[in-house]
Amino acid sequence: MRYVLLLSIVFAGPLFADDEVTSTGSPVDMSQPEFNFMGFGDISYISTDNSNADGFAIGQAVAHLSASLGHSLSAFGEFTATAKDSEYSFEVERLIVKYDFSDRYKLSAGRYHTPIGYWNSSFHHGAWLQTTTSRPEMLKFGSKIVPIHFVGVLLEGAIGAKNLGLEYKAGFGNGRHANIARAGDAGDLNGDKAWMLQVNSRPQGIYGLNMGLGFYSDEITLPVGPNVGEKTFSAYAAWNKETPELLIEYLHSSHELVNDSSVSGDVDAWYAQFAYRLPGKKSDWKPYVRYEHTRVDDSDPLLGAEALDYDGGILGARWDFNPHAALKVEYRNEEFDNGGRENNFRLQLSIVLTKM
Amino acid sequence: MPRMTSKPFNSKASLFRAALCSLSLLVVSPASAEDEATNEVVQSTSQPVAIVVHKDTQVDDLSLEDLRSIFLADQQFWPDRQRIILLVRAPESDERDFVLNRIYQMSEAQFRQYWIAKMFRAEVPRGPKIVFSTDMTLDLVVAIPGSISFIRADQISDAVKVVRIDGALPSEAGYPLK
Repeated sequence: MRYVLLLSIVFAGPLFADDEVTSTGSPVDMSQPEFNFMGFGDISYISTDNSNADGFAIGQAVAHLSASLGHSLSAFGEFTATAKDSEYSFEVERLIVKYDFSDRYKLSAGRYHTPIGYWNSSFHHGAWLQTTTSRPEMLKFGSKIVPIHFVGVLLEGAIGAKNLGLEYKAGFGNGRHANIARAGDAGDLNGDKAWMLQVNSRPQGIYGLNMGLGFYSDEITLPVGPNVGEKTFSAYAAWNKETPELLIEYLHSSHELVNDSSVSGDVDAWYAQFAYRLPGKKSDWKPYVRYEHTRVDDSDPLLGAEALDYDGGILGARWDFNPHAALKVEYRNEEFDNGGRENNFRLQLSIVLTKM
Repeated sequence: MPRMTSKPFNSKASLFRAALCSLSLLVVSPASAEDEATNEVVQSTSQPVAIVVHKDTQVDDLSLEDLRSIFLADQQFWPDRQRIILLVRAPESDERDFVLNRIYQMSEAQFRQYWIAKMFRAEVPRGPKIVFSTDMTLDLVVAIPGSISFIRADQISDAVKVVRIDGALPSEAGYPLK
């Protein structure tokens, strides 16, 4: 039923989407509410060393709604339906109400993708948006390494001189749920709220460059045992132009029991991705390569028992055969924590539904 | 994530076949006419492109970098806190091709993806307003406070304000949008 509801939103959306202005000769009232819709979807064929996982897979169906509710107020919603073994799961991924005071102060409340690093706040649930078929392992949806979502308030904007292109995001809200892969949607389980600060620079003189540093702090209440303190530092550099596209992101987390600081452990994770849009008549092709690495201390009180060590390399190409669709072909070689190594091949068709 | 023991890659014939098919796809795929059109970038128009704003906008001069920030919606407010309303010509106009090339430094496909991503990141609630002619551009810049757009320099009207870019007007030496 929920999936039917999502699909009805998806297909009804274009009926009321309107981003064009018509010249009527009458005064134009920009304070009137304006709605926009986007939908994303993907289907993949996956072939692996593990024959149990071979076959086609429906990815996420994503509906994104945004509304301009006057001069400064806006609202955004992102909803997904994800195929599971015997059903579809429906999720409110992001729901944000935002008030823009100026370029320097934009205050919002809601459910976000936590502003940690680059990928998590730049790419969201539409596979079409990202060059590769999937997110880096450390940032995959359902990751325990990074708190992917956060519920609370966020202040963001520009700071300093324009030519430095400095921006900040400061957030405060519910930390992780007792199921640490989820956000505390119904409230924080302890008195210590999560907070985060990210600063990035997009210097005007180096158009395409984006560099950032971030910090995240939380106290996590688990179903059993003492609370665990979490502090995460992130750094990234991204070159957004496609000739080339370069993304490098590093994350370091420290976890320790709040009542016994001798029980602690660290997480180090990073990835580097390089892509290049081919010139001339092959410009609809973008080959890419990515390497990722995640290492978790066995002594880590939060993640040490989760077997999350990972090394993976991918080699692929994206073919934008239509302005609203892309076909990606990808080979992956991955090594998991138990020493098992997997080769797999993926073919993914992704689409975006929008009037743009 | 399932864990499995290592097996030789070449033992999986279907995997190999799938990879081979994809490689052949890469080699033989033609660039579609549609994509050739969307990725083509026109180098210049015969006339300079003038940046025009609503008469009441309290801005007379912008650097090319500031103009790019506005056109990218990284800057969304004028200094007097008036919301900036960006009007962009529909595809297949010389002015649009010029602006994509010189200001955005993007192809049509990159431009589309940029705005979709911008909206999806909740950084803007909507993309630029699309206009279909110079007359329509001028009508709307006159009508909408805070609006900014671009037209050919020989079509400037007294009803709008022309902004200096890097200190120069379209008719002057050193104007960067020629």
